[in-house]
Amino acid sequence: MSEISVEQFKRLSQHIYQKLGLHFDEKKIYFLKKRVEKRMAALQIAEPEDDVFMVGYADPLGLEMQELANLVTTNETYMFREYEQLQAFANHCLPEVLSTKLARDDRSLRIWSAGCSSGEEPYTLAMIVQEVFPQAHSWKCQIIATDIDENVLHRACEARYGERAVAEVPEEYRKKHLVEDGEEWLVREKTAALVEFRHLNLNDRMAMRAMRGFDFIFCRNVLIYFDDQSRKAVVDHFYNALNRGSYIFLGHSESVGRISTAFKLKRFEDHLVYIKE
Amino acid sequence: MSDLSEFVAKLEAADETERVYAAEDIGYLNAAEGVAPLVARLDQEPSRAVRDAIFQALTRIEADAAVEGCIRLLASDDPQIRNQVVEILRHKGAAVVPFLETVMREGDKDLRKLTLDVLSGLPAVSANAIYQAALSDPDPNVIITAVENLGRARAHRFKGRIEELLLAASHPMLIGACLEALVGIGDEDSLAILRRRFPDFSMLPDFFLVSCLKAIGALGTERDFAAVAALLAERGTQLRPAILSALVGIHARHCGAAHDDNLLPLLRLAIDDLSAPLCSYQAVRALGFISSRDDVYAFLIGCLTSPERLVRLASIECLRETKRPELDEVLAARALSETDEDVRQALRS
Repeated sequence: MSEISVEQFKRLSQHIYQKLGLHFDEKKIYFLKKRVEKRMAALQIAEPEDDVFMVGYADPLGLEMQELANLVTTNETYMFREYEQLQAFANHCLPEVLSTKLARDDRSLRIWSAGCSSGEEPYTLAMIVQEVFPQAHSWKCQIIATDIDENVLHRACEARYGERAVAEVPEEYRKKHLVEDGEEWLVREKTAALVEFRHLNLNDRMAMRAMRGFDFIFCRNVLIYFDDQSRKAVVDHFYNALNRGSYIFLGHSESVGRISTAFKLKRFEDHLVYIKE
Repeated sequence: MSDLSEFVAKLEAADETERVYAAEDIGYLNAAEGVAPLVARLDQEPSRAVRDAIFQALTRIEADAAVEGCIRLLASDDPQIRNQVVEILRHKGAAVVPFLETVMREGDKDLRKLTLDVLSGLPAVSANAIYQAALSDPDPNVIITAVENLGRARAHRFKGRIEELLLAASHPMLIGACLEALVGIGDEDSLAILRRRFPDFSMLPDFFLVSCLKAIGALGTERDFAAVAALLAERGTQLRPAILSALVGIHARHCGAAHDDNLLPLLRLAIDDLSAPLCSYQAVRALGFISSRDDVYAFLIGCLTSPERLVRLASIECLRETKRPELDEVLAARALSETDEDVRQALRS
């Protein structure tokens, strides 16, 4: 089997960006090459050019692209994943939204963690909210966490995690918000109480219409598993679910602007975020 | 139809979300009668969110009326509408081709170009007649887009026509498009034609050279390797990625003669310049062409301790190609002190 050239890597990463919104820069050449070569071996494709062609121009249903998505993404989820994005949320977006609300005497904060899986993301958000905004408990503060899979939601409700899931939690947060229980860690009740888990299919448009009035939506590394049309439909629903002046966060390497033109790009220092104006 | 009337009325609602839902509901009704009100609303709709919902609804409606409505919108003055409509028509697939044939016959040059933009995502075989016409179009932009599409779609049956265009063309963008198309669909005849058109590519301006190098990388032989490598010393550093890609491309199909003493110093120009890691990576990979030489093997072993991880990764890939018996042991030993996860994995695999 021939190996993938830099030129082919660039074209392939362009196709992946166009279809999945995932960005692979040149530092990731080896990572992507090895995964694509694995896929080529499985399909018994000898020439990388044939694979690039298939992914780009001979995959009308996006099935091969989906296989590639499974190979280049990780299902592993852990607390404080994609830390830089959370910093933008904690240091810029959250204080801005809170001060706007205070000025209006609106003491409610609603955050939606869409596709929350086993709960690591919503609990992370609950920790951050309490640290940035200690008065959270005196406000009507809700973190609604939804997923289509009821089994993972049951696990999420238990708020119990292994060492890998909490490895990235900053030490001072760990002390305040987690408690050790044998080889596992439990989210403390005060933090867990901010999170409400619900079953929701992001493709159920009527159920999606019921989700309204959010100040933040996090839907990270979920939409890459959707086809183009569903992805657009979901992001349109997110737009309707957000209040004006509210923010949406997709995965670090996913681009909102590629999916919807409705949001505006906003810069905070090194961070780029999308806002509903 | 009462539902449709209700949704159409809501397209005029003051509330943005109501209008989004109305557009969405019309899309789900999937009725031809929904197309006209959606298209009419687009012109006056100020909200991007509602416009997005209308585009999605037009995508969802399967009737021919949706294709016809979208084709009318191709003539819109608003570039966002034109771009979105191109996307929708692409999404609808080969079913739009008969409608596009009419546009190709009757439309102005902008519409003919947009027709080809729609086709760029579709298999070329379904649009033979359109491509035949496009390659003889009076507007160069239409021809260029057609050539680009055909190259990307690897439409081999148009190879001869594209070679003719390469020989005859004077428009620089068309020459570039022909060269790049032949990368995907060319063969040794195409290489001969390229050489006829550009007998001495060392004197070519950068713009043509980049496209020529792509073609040589895809079609050239081991005889071309040294001449292409020489360009590393003769041309500016901005051409290095193109030169190195061509070398790696030739190497992917051919192994070199071990006697060329000039190649290692030439490639080191790019390897040692760590300000462009991807070039360094490519240059090390190109060294694979002569990795059977002992001095090159020793150099590659030295690269395992390079501060640039891509150089380390490329050297591992090249070293593995040498299949030397002691190699596994050397790489395993190196893995013990390697800190980068990808490199460690490459050393051990």
